[in-house]
Amino acid sequence: MLIKEECLQLIASQRTDEIVIATMGMSVPWAKISTHPLDYASVGSAMGHAADFALGIALAKPDKKVVVLNGDGSMLMCLGTLATITSLAKPPANYLLFVCDNGTYEVTGNQPVPRNADFSWVTIAKGTGFEQVYEFDDIDILETDLPKIWNEPGPVFVNLRIAQAHEPPPDRWGGFPYPYLQESLATSTHKLRKALEEQ
Amino acid sequence: MASAQKIVDALKKHNITHAVGVPDNGSARIYELLREEPKIEVITVTREGEAFAIAAGLYVGGKKPVIIIQNTGFLESGDAIRGTVINMQVPVVVFIGYRGYHNRDADGKWVDSVAAFLEPTLKAWDLPYHKLETDADIDSIDWAYGKSAETSLPAAVLLIGHAK
Repeated sequence: MLIKEECLQLIASQRTDEIVIATMGMSVPWAKISTHPLDYASVGSAMGHAADFALGIALAKPDKKVVVLNGDGSMLMCLGTLATITSLAKPPANYLLFVCDNGTYEVTGNQPVPRNADFSWVTIAKGTGFEQVYEFDDIDILETDLPKIWNEPGPVFVNLRIAQAHEPPPDRWGGFPYPYLQESLATSTHKLRKALEEQ
Repeated sequence: MASAQKIVDALKKHNITHAVGVPDNGSARIYELLREEPKIEVITVTREGEAFAIAAGLYVGGKKPVIIIQNTGFLESGDAIRGTVINMQVPVVVFIGYRGYHNRDADGKWVDSVAAFLEPTLKAWDLPYHKLETDADIDSIDWAYGKSAETSLPAAVLLIGHAK
């Protein structure tokens, strides 16, 4: 089983100028290790809509890699997005989707997400037509494989089997001292748009 | 009923780059024509809420999407609309097929509940809209683009009947 923060450290070590969209239980841990202008918290938005929001950016900016740090509960809420991605005439080669999979709705107290013992993200991702699909539960293997995965053309789906933790619900109401959670969603959105315009 | 070609021409005048949504009978011809446009990419989604999130992302990346869905899908999309295009302040035009508009019982009440729910919901969510039923209403598209640009928020065009 992986530790979320260790996985995020490895992802941060690969990151140069990619857009990173973090949501729910990933948004605060990511903010603790990154303050990049192309970081964006899908917080105060709509749960389940980080992967599809990121898809729109990836299609609009094909030369810019978009990395999504999604949760398994969030991914289940918008499972159809996986089919939308692979149905496109040109699925985005710049789209790298991480599902941080702990089997629970972490920020509301680790209630179990709906799935049985045979549930498989790998099967779902492959079944919707993703060709690059990975799953990790060992940090050493992730560390070895991540550089190759990071640089390969996507869309790429990576399931990270992480241990349960106790991240509180993120918000933009002043409780978290991280720049991207200290401004409104609209401000963050328009800042990201401007930053991308200037590149 | 309105001309699908005139609707597409109006959208082209506003330089849309993407059409995102789920087709219905009313918008089927519009989608067909949009797919023939080399400068417009059509993205069919699995559920209408996705359309709002993808459109918001396209906007962030500098593109100009239009969303085309049915009123049933609009109702399904509530939290996606709130959490993406409204909270993010994305100026986007949404075409909403007005299913059931012409079907009323002997007492004048709508037979299809989605027709009855549509306009009260738009008003409750504070989403401005105009109706488009015939070619005489094509200007509603210009109105919607003006309104969304002025507010940096969504504006809707309610498409009545099947565009031909």
